[in-house]
Amino acid sequence: MPPSFAGRWTPFWLSLPMLLIVALFFYIPVYLSFWWSFTLERPFGGGSEFVGFQNYARVLSDPIFWDAAWRTLVFMVFGSTLAIIVPLILALAADRMVPLSHTARNVLIWPKGIAGASIGVVFAFIFNPFVGIMAPLNGLFPGLWNPGSDGTDAFIMLLIAHVWNGIPFNFVILLAGLQAVPRSLTQAAAIDGASPWRRIRDVQLPMIAPQLFLTFVLEFTESVVSAFALIDTMTQGGPGGATRLLVYKIYQDGFKGYDLSGAATQSAILMVFVLCLAAFQFLYLEKKVRYER
Amino acid sequence: MKLNSLPVAATFLLASLGPTAAAEFQFWYGNTGAAETAIQNACAAFNDSQTEHKITCVGQGSYDTAMQKAIAAVRAKQHPVLIQFFDAGTLDLMLSGAVEPVAQALPDVDWSNYVTGAKSYYETSKGQLYSQPYNASTVVFYGNKEVMAKGGIDAPPQTYEALVEALRKLKTAGVECPYVTDGHPWRVLEQVAARHGAPIASRSNGYDGLDAEYQINQGLPAQHLTNLAAWHDEGLVKLDPETRAGTFSDAFNAGECAFMEASTANYSAAYKALGDKVLVGMAPVYEGTERKNTFVGGGSLWIMKGHDPEAVAAAGEFLNFVRQPEQQINLIREAAFVPVTNDVMTVMRDQNLLTDPAFGSIEAGMESLNQPGNENSRGIRLGFYVQFRDIFKEETQRAFSGEQTMQAALDNAKTRGDELLRRFQQTYSGVELP
Repeated sequence: MPPSFAGRWTPFWLSLPMLLIVALFFYIPVYLSFWWSFTLERPFGGGSEFVGFQNYARVLSDPIFWDAAWRTLVFMVFGSTLAIIVPLILALAADRMVPLSHTARNVLIWPKGIAGASIGVVFAFIFNPFVGIMAPLNGLFPGLWNPGSDGTDAFIMLLIAHVWNGIPFNFVILLAGLQAVPRSLTQAAAIDGASPWRRIRDVQLPMIAPQLFLTFVLEFTESVVSAFALIDTMTQGGPGGATRLLVYKIYQDGFKGYDLSGAATQSAILMVFVLCLAAFQFLYLEKKVRYER
Repeated sequence: MKLNSLPVAATFLLASLGPTAAAEFQFWYGNTGAAETAIQNACAAFNDSQTEHKITCVGQGSYDTAMQKAIAAVRAKQHPVLIQFFDAGTLDLMLSGAVEPVAQALPDVDWSNYVTGAKSYYETSKGQLYSQPYNASTVVFYGNKEVMAKGGIDAPPQTYEALVEALRKLKTAGVECPYVTDGHPWRVLEQVAARHGAPIASRSNGYDGLDAEYQINQGLPAQHLTNLAAWHDEGLVKLDPETRAGTFSDAFNAGECAFMEASTANYSAAYKALGDKVLVGMAPVYEGTERKNTFVGGGSLWIMKGHDPEAVAAAGEFLNFVRQPEQQINLIREAAFVPVTNDVMTVMRDQNLLTDPAFGSIEAGMESLNQPGNENSRGIRLGFYVQFRDIFKEETQRAFSGEQTMQAALDNAKTRGDELLRRFQQTYSGVELP
C-alpha cells in the first residue's frame, strides 16, 4: 500500500526538526571530532595544522591511553555483569512473591530518579573512610579502606555506585520479562519435580533471553560513557589515575588540558570501539536469542 | 534594559548579541565564595562611581570552567572584552592571538608600580605586561598555636630542617597530623622551587623559548619531593584523604593539623575558624638557601581582541578603577588576597591596617613576593601546563601510596610533561614566544 501522506515531502518535513537536532548535537560534533583528530588544533582557534595520523600514532603508543582503555574494559565487564546479575536476583525474588515483594518493586524503582552526579556525592559520603559505613572497620584495622588514597578501593567504590545506579532500569525490564513467562510452564516443571533452581535455569532464564540481551546491550555500551558523572563527583579519575576511564580521560585532556586534538582522537577511537561492540552484540549474540515463545 | 533586574536573562541576551555595546561591557571571572562577593562588590562600586560605562560581571563557577567557556566563546566570536584567567593558563593565552596586552592597550599606566612577583608572572621575557594582576596570592606558612603547643613549639620554623624536628616532636606528643598538604604542584613544586631559585624547567621555566624541558626530577625539586614522601612514610606529613576533614585547608581550620603551606587567601577562612590561634610566616626554605621571591597565583585580567575601541576603553576604565589602593584594600579585606601594586602597602601602613588581624597574611605574603628574584622565580611559561599539573598529581599520588618511588614518579612526570611541551611547540609551530 502506498504511503498515505498528502505530499512526497511531508514525511521529510515532519521529521526535519528531529533530524536537525540529531545533526546539530550528533553528526556535526562527530564530524568535527574526526576532523580534529587529523590536525593539531589550537585551543583558541586561529590555526590548525594537518598532521595525518600523527595523533593516532601518539595516542596508540601512549601507555596512559592503554591503561585507561584497560580500566574501561574491566569496568565494563565487571560493572555491567554485576549491574545485570544483581537486578536479576532481585527480579527473580520479586517474581516469586517473597514477602514484601510488592513494596520492593516500588522502592527499587526510586534510584532511577537520581542523577549520576547526585549518586556520586552521596556515595562519596557513604564510603568516606572516617564517617562512612566503613569507618568502624577502619577503626579495627587502620588504613583498611580509603578510596581517597587506595586505587583499588576507589575502583570498588565506583563499581558499587554504578551497579546501584543500574538496578532500577534493569530490574523493571527483567521483572517484566519474568512476569510474562506463562505460569503454566513453571507449574508444569514443578509437577515434574523440578526444584526452584532448576526452574529458574531451564525455564525462566531461557524465556527472558530477549530481556537479558537488551539489558546486556544497553549496559555494555552505557557503562563506557555513563560512569563519567560518578567519576567526576567521586574521584576525578584518581587516586593516581586508578579510576581514570577513557571517557574521563577524554574530558580531562580536552577540557582541562586544552588538548583538543588528542581528546578528539580518543573520542573517535572510543566511538569506533563502541560501534564494534554493538555490532558484535547484534550480529553475533542476537542470533542466539529466540524472540518467539 | 529592564532585563538587568534578571541577571541570568541579561547574560543570555548579552551573550546572544555578541560583542557588547560601547558603554556596556561584560567581565567573566571564575571565583566563588568570598572572592566572588568581593568581585561583585567591585563591579557594583565601579557602576556607582560613574555613569558613562556599565559593567556586567558574570561568574563562571571555577577557573577551569571560565577558561573552557572563554575558549568556546572566542571560537564562536562571542567573548566579552574582559576576562579573568588563572595563572596556569598564561602561556596558552599569550599565544592565543585572542588577547591584547594590557601594556599596549593602556600605555599611560605606570606599570612599574606593580609588585615584581606579581608582574613577572604575566610579562614577556622582554618585559611587556600581558594582563593586569588582580586577585593575587602567594604561598605562606600557617601554624596553629594551640596544636603546636602540644609539642612545645611556639613559632613556625623558618627552615625545613627545623620543621622536621618540630614535626617529630609533635608526633611524639601524640599529634596525628603534624603537617598537611594536598600535594598540589603550585604548593609543593612551583613555589618551593621559586623561593629556592631552582628551575622546574630549562630555558628559565620556559620564558626563553618553547623548546624548554622539565627538570623536576633533579636538583632541589626532586630532593624536596623525595623528602616529602619520606616524611609522609614517617607519619609526619598527611595528605587530603588521610584527614578527617577531607581537604588540607579544612583539616587545618578544624584544628586537626599543626602546620600547612597554603595560599595567603586561605587566611580568611582560617582566621574565621581559629581566630588568633593562626600564625602566619614565610614558607620554609632549606638551610643555607639564599631566599628568592615566591610568585603569585590566582587570577589576572585580560583584554580580549575583537571589540570596538569604546568597549576596550571602558574595560580600561575598569582596570584603572580596580587598581586604586582603596579598591585593592577592599578585595584584600574581603577575600585575603595580596596587594599587587607597591603604593597599596604604603597606604595600608599609613592607615595602620597591617596590625589588624583581618589582614594577618599580608605582611608575610608581601615579604615573600618582594624577596630578590632570579630567572627561575619569575613564573612559569610552559605549554599545556594545566595538563602537566594533573600528570604531576597523578604520578606523585602513586608515589605517596607506595606504588612507585618518588624519583620514579618525577621521572615519569618529566617524560610525560616533555611530550606535552613538544606537542605544544608543534601546535604553535611558526609562532614566536613573545
